[in-house]
Amino acid sequence: MIPAHSGPHANPSSNPSQPLLRVTGLCKQFVQRRNFSRQQFSVNAFENVTLQLFRGRTLALVGESGAGKSTLARCIALLERPSEGTIALDGTDLLALDTKGLFPIRRRIQLIFQDPASALNPQLTACETIAEPLAIQNVSTKKERHERALQLMDQVGLGPAAAQKRPFEFSGGQRQRLAIARALALEPDVLVLDESLSALDALNRDLILQLLADLQAVRSLAYLYVSHDLRLVSQFADEVVVMYQGRIVEQKKTRELFAHPAHFHTRELLATVHSVESILRERSA
Amino acid sequence: MRYFARRLAHAVLLLLGISVFSFALLQLAPGDFFSSLQLNPQISSRTVEALRSQYGLDKPLPVRYGSWLHSVLKGDLGTSFAYNSPVAPLLALRARNTLLLTGTATLLAWLLAIPLGIWSAAHRGEWGDRMGGVMTSTLLTVPDLVLFLALLLLAVRTGWFPTGGMISAEFNDLNFWSKVKDLANHLLLPSLGLALATLPPLVRHIRSAMIEVLDSPFIRAARAHGIAERRVLLRYALPVAANPLISLLGFSIATMLSAGLLVEVILSWPGIGPLLVDAILSKDTYVVVGTVMLSSVFLVAGNLFADMLLFAADPRIRME
Amino acid sequence: MTHRRKLAAALVFLAGFYCLVLFAGFFVPYDFAAQNREMPFAPPSALHFVDAQGKFHARPFIYSAQDASQEATPSDANTQRPYPIHFFVRGSHYKIAGLFTSNVHLFGVDDPGQILLMGSDAYGRDQFSRFLYGGQISMLAGLIAALFSVSLGTIVGGIAGYYGGWIDEILMRGSELFLALPWLYLLFAVRAALPLRISQWQVFLLLVAIMGLIGWARPARLIRGVVLSAKQRNFVTAARGFGASDAYLLRKHVLPQTYGVLLTQMTLLIPQYVLAEVTLTFLGLGVGEPMPSWGALLSSLQQYSVLSSYWWMFLPALLLIPLFLVFYTAADALQELHKSVPL
Repeated sequence: MIPAHSGPHANPSSNPSQPLLRVTGLCKQFVQRRNFSRQQFSVNAFENVTLQLFRGRTLALVGESGAGKSTLARCIALLERPSEGTIALDGTDLLALDTKGLFPIRRRIQLIFQDPASALNPQLTACETIAEPLAIQNVSTKKERHERALQLMDQVGLGPAAAQKRPFEFSGGQRQRLAIARALALEPDVLVLDESLSALDALNRDLILQLLADLQAVRSLAYLYVSHDLRLVSQFADEVVVMYQGRIVEQKKTRELFAHPAHFHTRELLATVHSVESILRERSA
Repeated sequence: MRYFARRLAHAVLLLLGISVFSFALLQLAPGDFFSSLQLNPQISSRTVEALRSQYGLDKPLPVRYGSWLHSVLKGDLGTSFAYNSPVAPLLALRARNTLLLTGTATLLAWLLAIPLGIWSAAHRGEWGDRMGGVMTSTLLTVPDLVLFLALLLLAVRTGWFPTGGMISAEFNDLNFWSKVKDLANHLLLPSLGLALATLPPLVRHIRSAMIEVLDSPFIRAARAHGIAERRVLLRYALPVAANPLISLLGFSIATMLSAGLLVEVILSWPGIGPLLVDAILSKDTYVVVGTVMLSSVFLVAGNLFADMLLFAADPRIRME
Repeated sequence: MTHRRKLAAALVFLAGFYCLVLFAGFFVPYDFAAQNREMPFAPPSALHFVDAQGKFHARPFIYSAQDASQEATPSDANTQRPYPIHFFVRGSHYKIAGLFTSNVHLFGVDDPGQILLMGSDAYGRDQFSRFLYGGQISMLAGLIAALFSVSLGTIVGGIAGYYGGWIDEILMRGSELFLALPWLYLLFAVRAALPLRISQWQVFLLLVAIMGLIGWARPARLIRGVVLSAKQRNFVTAARGFGASDAYLLRKHVLPQTYGVLLTQMTLLIPQYVLAEVTLTFLGLGVGEPMPSWGALLSSLQQYSVLSSYWWMFLPALLLIPLFLVFYTAADALQELHKSVPL
């Protein structure tokens, strides 16, 4: 029985045409100092990032490695603090909240890491891993958390036999499913996926993509998928944002991007893709 | 040059910290050198107070530390209550003996460790290496105390070695060469003991450093060129393996000092070890502090020396 | 032998030895302070199964110990009285762990015979009894001091690694200072700060405290390293994403990663501290008479006469070797196991 969307702050009648998450003018600077000298120099991870996430829709963030994408993903997932800008969820400015105020909000935005092996504590069993966010957020009793964990495992396609296994006993694809199950435990509205598919082989990639699509359809999740692989992203993203050297240089619907790439970097990225026509054909099918 | 300056500043700060630390610790002791005198009813407390005042033991702590540090930098390490003489020359003499011992022991240890390590690495996995490994492990397991006592036992039972002291009674009557022989004779057992005590980690590190180098491509190339194995080991592998070993030299000084104290006491070598022990038993404050400071200076100096060697040997550090 | 087996064997041995030492009162025939001035420096009692008449006895027996200064002639053996060894005898009273009193000993002989498995010292005290009782002091000192060092090191290293920044900087500089000091000299210096004539228990506790305080630096650095790398692991970040507090993260995710290192450190530090206590007492700076610390047992060896004539006084030193061997074996096995833990 797949539960309907019922988070604590959700507005059941929220307008799907209004952005769920609105990021405005986000910047992140790293300041470094040489030892014993006054000199400081700052590095911009990203600058002036503005984008919106909608329910049930997938936004892809594409750029070459080192373009600041992962840092941006973490900032949006509230795991790092940006230097400037705002992140608004259903109108609430998240960066203005203190730790206590942020605590309930954390349930609504979750991050899926690229490498599931590093994201799972090798000493915990699958069941404990999934139940952990519920325990941290003090949801119900231990027994109920255990039940919920088993339910979630079922939803991502992991059988109950896997409940007592530890991460190293799973394959890469199964580990990523475990990570997804854990992220879903608190019934978030937004999932940020930091290159979550790139560590998987083609078969697993397709399976996980299917799982994610199903989940999105049922729960009206908003996805932000960060990647360097434009071809991969074209298979499921509704809209694409291209980043170059820390800045957004192009933002279009997927088909339009492929049809009329404006920025030279977009064209560079597209050039690495096999055949634009074949992709367009796939999309229109 | 900046590298030197940094390491030097670091060393000085370290020494300063050590001096404060050791001095502070000692002052925590209730009672001092003259407390036992006070228990004697025949000595009036006024005499004891006068004695205390004479030795400056009645002034407040920071003042005592400050004046002590000031004198130290001038070369005056205070006065020994037990010997009733200045500490500095007393320490200097003992320090000379300790340096002689530890220097000899270090030389001996490395002279033994290098061939053993190279040979073990070259015959890695074979029975020779395994035997060497067993011997090293055995030596490592035997506590220093037991090792030194065993050597003493050996000396006593067989009479092959002198059982203590640095020179014989007739030392001054001997001619130069006999003097040298006599000294060497007395030096043999303690330095051998000290060398054996510090040998195992040396051999292990040399062996693993050599193995790492021997596995690298340029050694394989050298062998492929038909260069003789011995030449490969000594002229190609060893210089590269020397790098991590130089920093090892600095660290081995620390263990050498600690083990040296024990060997000096057990085999009656007149170094700073027995001096320290006696000073503690008689609560001879300035001697104790002076000794701890001196040994720390040796340690820090040793590390600094190792840093400089490393700097000279490794061009990568010079790039910084 | 696999590492797991080696570790298991070592731990069993150590547990057994600690038990032996803990119940020393039961396993030894005499109290550690019981003197017998008529039998100074008596050699170890030889166990016999066949008596002077050539008769075999199933129960082993000893002949009365001879004063080492007397010469044993063959005829003496005939006139000596044999003392059979009895088991579970009643003897002097002793306390177990300071709580229970008993007077049952594992073995003993009737008075005035004395069974001296390791000979006797200058005061006629049984060295075997003193050896096991001495274990209580030396082994316990080693254990407690190691626990202290490791706990202190974990706290400091944990804080430094987790919070980083200037706290880390200061704490690591401090640890450098402690590592730079020649530890034996420092130990002595601190011992010097203590008055020489204070009660045994106070000396023991202070000694343990000092050893523990001096040794925190190396465990701290190691723990800091583990905490630093654990802190950056993605599962910690993920937990933070669920709203976990620092305390929770430390408790549930970071510290459990340190258990391997902690255990290895313990197996390396305990023998070091045992040795430190033994060395200090050997030099007269540790726990004093009549407490039979192993150092005290060995200190008489500094006298020429003892070293040359009474070989059995060396036995405690020899017995230390297998003990340390077991500790190092355990440490080695732990390190190997730790390396191969799947991630």
